[in-house]
Amino acid sequence: MHTRKLAFLVLLGSLFASTARAQVKHVEMRVEGMT
Amino acid sequence: MQKSLERQSGVQKAVVSLRDGTVDITPKEDGQIDPSQLLKATYDSGVTVAEMDMTATGHVIHLPSGELGLRVEPNRTFPITPNELSKQLEPMVDASTAVTVRGQLYTKAAGKVKEPPPLLHILILVIQGKG
Repeated sequence: MHTRKLAFLVLLGSLFASTARAQVKHVEMRVEGMT
Repeated sequence: MQKSLERQSGVQKAVVSLRDGTVDITPKEDGQIDPSQLLKATYDSGVTVAEMDMTATGHVIHLPSGELGLRVEPNRTFPITPNELSKQLEPMVDASTAVTVRGQLYTKAAGKVKEPPPLLHILILVIQGKG
């Protein structure tokens, strides 16, 4: 029973970690007309 | 323009280089930043954006339109413009692992000053990592 709970928690944790990594890390623009 | 960009939601820092004509934007830790808002804020400050690139980690999904998409937040997905590199992402559709890519979100049409499109597509330039 404990093993199944542990496996479920590991699965949940890995899914959460995977989702948390998704993000915009950097944006770069080349612009014109800037003084 | 720098102050205007730093007031946008999710922006930690904006660095403007007058010499190079570039603007580097660092998102906050949570990465919840809206590139289309950055484009609009830049246009509103009287500067024309020639090109916008983004580095992002996300999940590859199939959009209802049949296109591939890069989901960078639960409610923010960029449709992927098909090219040779995007084909390499097809096996990752709906996978639990994320992919990090550098891509072009916007490029100004030659000789034209126009408003940016409302929906930004990403043209994959580099696949930096999977998993």
